[in-house]
Amino acid sequence: MFGYRYLSNIHRQIVFAGFRRAAIRCCVVIPLLVLSSGSVDLQASQPEEMQSKRRFFETRIRPVLIRHCYECHAADSGELGGRLLLDHAVGLIQGGESGRAILPGDPAGSLLIRALRYEGLEMPPSEPLPPAVIADFEKWIADGAFDPRTDPPVATPDIPETPPEHWAWSPPQLPAIPDVIGQQWADTEIDQLVLKEFEAAEQRTPNDASSRIVARRLYLNLTGLPPTIQQLEEAEELLGEKSESGLESLVDRLLSSPQFGERWGRHWLDVARYGESNGNDGLGRNPTFPHAWRYRDYVIESINSDMPWDQFLSEQLAGDLLPADNDRQRDRQLIATGFLALGAKPAKAMNDDFTMDVVADQIDTIGRGILGVSIACARCHDHKTDPIPTSEYYALAGILTSTETMWGLAANEGLTAPKTDLHVLKTPPAVLPPEGFVETVLVLESNTGRPKPIPKPPWPAGTPLAMGVRDRGKPEDCPINVKGSSKNQGDIVARGFPKFCSPELMEVPEIDPARSGRLELARWITHPQHPLTARVLANRVWMHLFGRGIVATPDEFGLYGEAPVSQDLLDYLAVRLVEDRWSLKSLIRRIVLSRVFRLEAVNPDDRAQIAMATILPQRRRLDAESFRDGVMSVAGVLDLEPPDGSLIRHRDILVNLAGNLHESSPHRSVYLCYLRSSPPPELMPFDLPDFTNAVGQRAETTIPAQALFLLNSPFMQRQSAALAELICRAEDEPRRRIEFLWKQVLQRPPETEELNEAMEFVRPQSVESDSTDVLWRALCQSLLMTSEFRYLD
Amino acid sequence: MLNSRRLMLQTASCGFGALALNSLLAEQSGVTGNPLHPRVPFHPARAQRVIFLCMSGGPAQLDTFDYKPQTGKKPHPGSVFRFRRHGESGLHVSELLPETAKQADKLCVINGMHADTGIHAQSFLQLHTGERLRPRPSLGAWVSYGLGTENSNLPGFISLNTSKTSVYSSGFLPSIHNGTPIGVNGEDMTRATISNLPGGTPRQLQRKQLNLVQSLNRRHLTQSDGSDELEGVIRSMELGYRMQMSAPDLLDLSGETEATLRRYRVGEAVEQIGTCRPTDFGRQCLLARRFAEAGVRFIEVNHGSWDQHKNHRRDLQANCQATDAPIAALLSDLEERGMLDETLVVWGGEFGRPGLVPGDGKDETGHNARGFTFWMAGGGVKAGYVHGRTSGTGAQAVEGKVHFRDLHATILHLLGLPANDLTWFHQGRHHRLTGPDGGQVVSELFA
Repeated sequence: MFGYRYLSNIHRQIVFAGFRRAAIRCCVVIPLLVLSSGSVDLQASQPEEMQSKRRFFETRIRPVLIRHCYECHAADSGELGGRLLLDHAVGLIQGGESGRAILPGDPAGSLLIRALRYEGLEMPPSEPLPPAVIADFEKWIADGAFDPRTDPPVATPDIPETPPEHWAWSPPQLPAIPDVIGQQWADTEIDQLVLKEFEAAEQRTPNDASSRIVARRLYLNLTGLPPTIQQLEEAEELLGEKSESGLESLVDRLLSSPQFGERWGRHWLDVARYGESNGNDGLGRNPTFPHAWRYRDYVIESINSDMPWDQFLSEQLAGDLLPADNDRQRDRQLIATGFLALGAKPAKAMNDDFTMDVVADQIDTIGRGILGVSIACARCHDHKTDPIPTSEYYALAGILTSTETMWGLAANEGLTAPKTDLHVLKTPPAVLPPEGFVETVLVLESNTGRPKPIPKPPWPAGTPLAMGVRDRGKPEDCPINVKGSSKNQGDIVARGFPKFCSPELMEVPEIDPARSGRLELARWITHPQHPLTARVLANRVWMHLFGRGIVATPDEFGLYGEAPVSQDLLDYLAVRLVEDRWSLKSLIRRIVLSRVFRLEAVNPDDRAQIAMATILPQRRRLDAESFRDGVMSVAGVLDLEPPDGSLIRHRDILVNLAGNLHESSPHRSVYLCYLRSSPPPELMPFDLPDFTNAVGQRAETTIPAQALFLLNSPFMQRQSAALAELICRAEDEPRRRIEFLWKQVLQRPPETEELNEAMEFVRPQSVESDSTDVLWRALCQSLLMTSEFRYLD
Repeated sequence: MLNSRRLMLQTASCGFGALALNSLLAEQSGVTGNPLHPRVPFHPARAQRVIFLCMSGGPAQLDTFDYKPQTGKKPHPGSVFRFRRHGESGLHVSELLPETAKQADKLCVINGMHADTGIHAQSFLQLHTGERLRPRPSLGAWVSYGLGTENSNLPGFISLNTSKTSVYSSGFLPSIHNGTPIGVNGEDMTRATISNLPGGTPRQLQRKQLNLVQSLNRRHLTQSDGSDELEGVIRSMELGYRMQMSAPDLLDLSGETEATLRRYRVGEAVEQIGTCRPTDFGRQCLLARRFAEAGVRFIEVNHGSWDQHKNHRRDLQANCQATDAPIAALLSDLEERGMLDETLVVWGGEFGRPGLVPGDGKDETGHNARGFTFWMAGGGVKAGYVHGRTSGTGAQAVEGKVHFRDLHATILHLLGLPANDLTWFHQGRHHRLTGPDGGQVVSELFA
């Protein structure tokens, strides 16, 4: 045995000796450059020993570096790989993104050797060098890594120690409230801040909008529903009052209605990339998340109860680590951590980076969703503009790799995602599937074509479960994944938080090594001095209320993002938000009580206007949910009671095998089943995001698919029929019906011309013409299609 | 202040060319701002439209177009099916593609393709969008954005039998450039259609209804100082209305002759064999020709899966059989109609596969992103031409290497678009299909 191994080792050496010679032969053609006369030896050596070291370097090391490494790791490389220079002695010592390349005297501890041996890192990437060449490098490092290449190094692109000045990196300051000439005009401090800009530019502020428009704006913005005609009349009365108290009581009423949480919860669900299935895993498979809806309900309830935003965020990041006084609170906090578990994952099959893909989604959602910074691109390289080095990405990643993410059974498809545990809740009742329910969506065995049996779930039927996270048994720091590949591991980075948004005056929590660090992450993010968290929220609130953010890039506050139109205004709102104990309702109340909220919508394309005017009320199309809810509300068929659970609460299946899982529902849109890659068809045409990453602001496009939906969809047919029935039941006389219809849909009586057109429309014109029922339905549908109904002016 | 900063960012990030293009595009889209308005190309276009035959799963290049005979004494990975030279060009085509082989003199084979990763999802996304990790606009959306549509009754980008929204998404581009999907991947195309096309309302009543809506909309528009947005609503209602007239006719093949249907093998779906699903691929190819005729700029046709890990020989044969005659029919039909010159047909998948070693008894292949094959035909590319080369075992591209970003650059260039300057400003910087590295236009392919 011994003898054999010995022999085979010798044999190997002989074989590779040939290789080595070949390599050297190839390399002598490369001119032996830069034996710089003025070079300073890094090692103090005896002249003779030095001679031999130099010879060794020049014959065994330098040619290999030139041949195999310089393409990516030299000063003149097109793109410098991993910020590592191998064409200079200092480069090797200093190292790159993954840390020092060599430790002279310690080959085993040198990253370069690990990379050449393809241990973690794999260099050169094309194929490993022959072992004999690697042995040369080991010897070279063991002998002190003599390297004569000591000309002044070419400067490498570097991340500066102190982040560059950028408005968003330092905490918001309460601005001085300016004196304005039009003190009379301004109702609030917000108005003064806005008016100042108009006065400075000697421009007129837009006119006040009519009380009908203001009431519609308040209702649609705060509840996501248009007012009924009665509500509108009442609101107009309140708005007409001399004192402010009428407006205030209207606003307070809307803020305390349960519809408020459904509306504003939906905004947060976009940011949380909430989905009830994984979405296509890249191999076509799309497993359901049967318990995701608990997170949806959590969000709506928290916003309705005006949970302080810092607490809201903390529960989502670390609810499992927070103390709980009772089981209800414990359950709520566990459900909150679903925030981190809802991500859309690529398939596990053949994907070595799966774990880090999960982490990348979490970091991206925290980054763009909460902090308004894309940290996630530092997964593969130092951020191109913002001061986020790869190491800080992996400092955050360590917190999340020390965390167990629990998405559940993933439809028992291990190739998509391995099964995980779930949080078992103590307080919600066990809900069993309806009697006689049999799962019909089954995976077929590829060989036999027979359905695969569904494995027995690990929990008793009906157990209340929640997606979420918890700390792993042994938290560990995370190594850098060079160029985002988990096969290519660099230095291990201690868990921590990005420095660029941790200004000096803000104490940075220290991470307990025995825990993941999520609690500290939550504390860091919700620190009152954090420069981003409150600003990002304040900006989004403004954006939802006016149509455009003070910062036009709501998920991007870094150097790539837009600058705020008025930093004073943004900071004013952010500081007040924190002062008001992070109360979302107080912030909204503060804004909608301002006079600027009640101004007429300006045309966004008017180039003459000052920047400030671009963030005043904008005309907007109702989003998918508001449109559907609005249609059903005016048709009199919307059920405002929230439903229990979700369409798929008992179904751990692959959505892609199911065809259409959606059913029409009388409830508000927020309670529809938000399956990724298979969204509710009633919402789909109206710029629904795909919920694979955080979206602060939805797109608003106008496409023919929307027209087709309005003209032909079964939904529109159903609703028009319901609306026609409603108006025909309420009034007999055509003229009265039309007036009723206009008030019901547009909350105003028809103008004379409109009345005439509508009268003409419903008059049967010939013998073969359509029945009156059909005509009334078509008229109702027409009104629901109008831009006036579908837009918020 | 705001404007100067934005200008600074724009010029700093991608140069003045990109900025100028953006405003030029805005200008061309006209005062009314119709983003689908057909646009004049930026240099002479060699192709008017693209039909992309997307072979998902990684088609085995060594047993289709990249002939690797045994060379040494010891068996090595290579082609395990027979190859013959075909046509005047003498192009090598495998015995699995007898019909395509007859079209050999139309093909411009690219044997030196390479990509970054052998992970399906990532490479498939990169093939479509240039980016493998995050959602971005698809090639078809860029083409629609760059060129608009020739037919105001139809969208600019249609994706047939498509699998995932991410591959036909308009990403950050205006969603009017979003691909219109028809049919679900892997399912029979016979039933495939566009959502909400047929309505319950009689056509005449619907016209009357639309007239009323438009009249109310115009009133709203007047009251709102002529907002562009509301103007856009009126226009898009009209396009939607018109689409429901033209799209059903295009989807209805009953007007095609029996001979054409046979030629394309419409309805002759083979049974499912391993990874090869019976999706009526022939119908897709025929629909592609019809949409091309009707003026759609970018039509993607899908077949999969070519990911035959086990049963390589049987499944590959099935995939080839399902696609061979329909593709050949498409090429010859386009030529007969005089459309091939201006239609760029592109064939390929997210990567290729390593070869089997003949005689070693194994029948299983994996993924190979380091060397694989695409082919193009028509639309200004050389015919009967082979570009690039892989190593003796087909393991990696060694000559004439073409990355996806180069492929994208080349396609855009053929359409008359500036390969690396077709950009969109999003989240603070200019984005382009060819990514931060940019793509090389492979002009050697041009006729």
